[in-house]
Amino acid sequence: MTVNITDSVTWINESIAHSDFNEHVSVYLIEAETGYIVVDSGSVHHRRSISEQLQDATDDKGVDAIILSHSDYPHSGNISEFRDRWGDVELIASSGSPEIQGLQNATKCTIGGSMDVLGREFSFIDPPLADRSHTTWIYDHASRVLFTADGFGNYHQPEEEDYTSADFDNVTPFEEIYQYHRDNLVWLRYVDPGKLRDALDATLNQFEVSSVAPIHGNPIRGSDLDTYLDRLIRAADKITNEYVVA
Amino acid sequence: MAREISPGIHWLQELGPDQRDNFELRDEPPSWCTPGDTVHIPQCAYLLVGSDRTLLFDTLSPASTEKLKDEVSSILGDRSLDYVVVSHPDIPHAGNAIEMLREYPKAELVGPGYGNDHELYHLDDAMKVVEGDTIDLGDLAVEFHEAAFLDAPVFVWMTERTTETLFPVDWMGFPHLSEDELNFVDEAHHDVGVEQLLHFHARVLFWHKYVDVEKVQREIDNLIEKYNPSMIAPAHGLVIREDAVEYMEKMKDVVARIQQTGRLGIIG
Repeated sequence: MTVNITDSVTWINESIAHSDFNEHVSVYLIEAETGYIVVDSGSVHHRRSISEQLQDATDDKGVDAIILSHSDYPHSGNISEFRDRWGDVELIASSGSPEIQGLQNATKCTIGGSMDVLGREFSFIDPPLADRSHTTWIYDHASRVLFTADGFGNYHQPEEEDYTSADFDNVTPFEEIYQYHRDNLVWLRYVDPGKLRDALDATLNQFEVSSVAPIHGNPIRGSDLDTYLDRLIRAADKITNEYVVA
Repeated sequence: MAREISPGIHWLQELGPDQRDNFELRDEPPSWCTPGDTVHIPQCAYLLVGSDRTLLFDTLSPASTEKLKDEVSSILGDRSLDYVVVSHPDIPHAGNAIEMLREYPKAELVGPGYGNDHELYHLDDAMKVVEGDTIDLGDLAVEFHEAAFLDAPVFVWMTERTTETLFPVDWMGFPHLSEDELNFVDEAHHDVGVEQLLHFHARVLFWHKYVDVEKVQREIDNLIEKYNPSMIAPAHGLVIREDAVEYMEKMKDVVARIQQTGRLGIIG
């Protein structure tokens, strides 16, 4: 399913089913002046569906560049497929050792720096809420969308598949934010929520964000961000309090 | 080249690229870094050859496929590989799992029983192991553990019971010089101390920057009591065969130091 986040950013959402909820494993398509960019490539699990949706969404022109949040399989699983299908697709990745991460012919982006990709400026952010060392969050200056992995996610019910935060009754529910982060960012069991909040605030204060676009969650509108953030920190507090170390 | 660190336990190491520029060590190298020598954060895999069964713990990165196949074949000789264990599906650890299963089609894939995204990592059909599960290899026996410090939810640690060797993937990694490839820590050209451990953990497990330090230090005390290992076989460093618990103690200082240094950079 494709959902427009801004005039130039389209959410291509895919999900996997867990026992009582679903989890997004998405990619985002950006229409730049001189071509199409995708943020992440999705999982091999969704290879055909993602490829066909990108084919349609680009009017058969295909993708020109991939910006990778990190090399984890659910994010990097279709790079070779995109290159096979659309030819010379540039890969932009923050990995310092791409050959060790199985990434071929990657252009390195620097976390903390910015880069022009197809005439569009992107900044690469040190993410306070992530798992792998080389993960970067990606800020698109033209749309003011912040793409995040793996933090800022949430689980969802099947009927909430295509929601943005504005489509829920009262923004993304706490329980869905809590369960997602408890299961996927396991280190939160040791977190000091105050330190995490300070780091997230410092990050978000650097950029004017129209929407947060998580790979593993429903997009969060800028007007809902404070509510989401409060729930996220409350979730972190609950996760660490539930894990008792004698 | 591999090294037998204890009868039947073989250490396979992939040095990976020179990391001096990532560490900004070239201009003002610290005492443990010899000017001109290259610095590496290796990937390690371990091949356990028991009297009855054999087991490969982790598979190095896709950059070392042929090296891994050659070394495993050389060590096994006429024996078969019975188990391929993936500690977690990070590419530098699991990057050759499918290739090894292709090479040894009778081998069983073993993966963590933790997390809920196994189908995204081709681990849905793996034998899943959790805390306390064991595999008997004959004169060797492995036991699996829930990982304490990790970067992904699908994750497992392991011990080899007869030698009390702990395999604490990715925890307790550290950079070392190329000249120390496959050296034990006590054979290294420089002492391994808090500084090297800090250089690794303030990058790879960067989230220590946001933790409750005392809580993590209490967890380390619990791990020392639980495992009390004779040997530590890290995924990204050199094998520690002397004073293993002292090195675990150093990790309490490392966590405290990360609060002061913050994140030092990225690895991977």
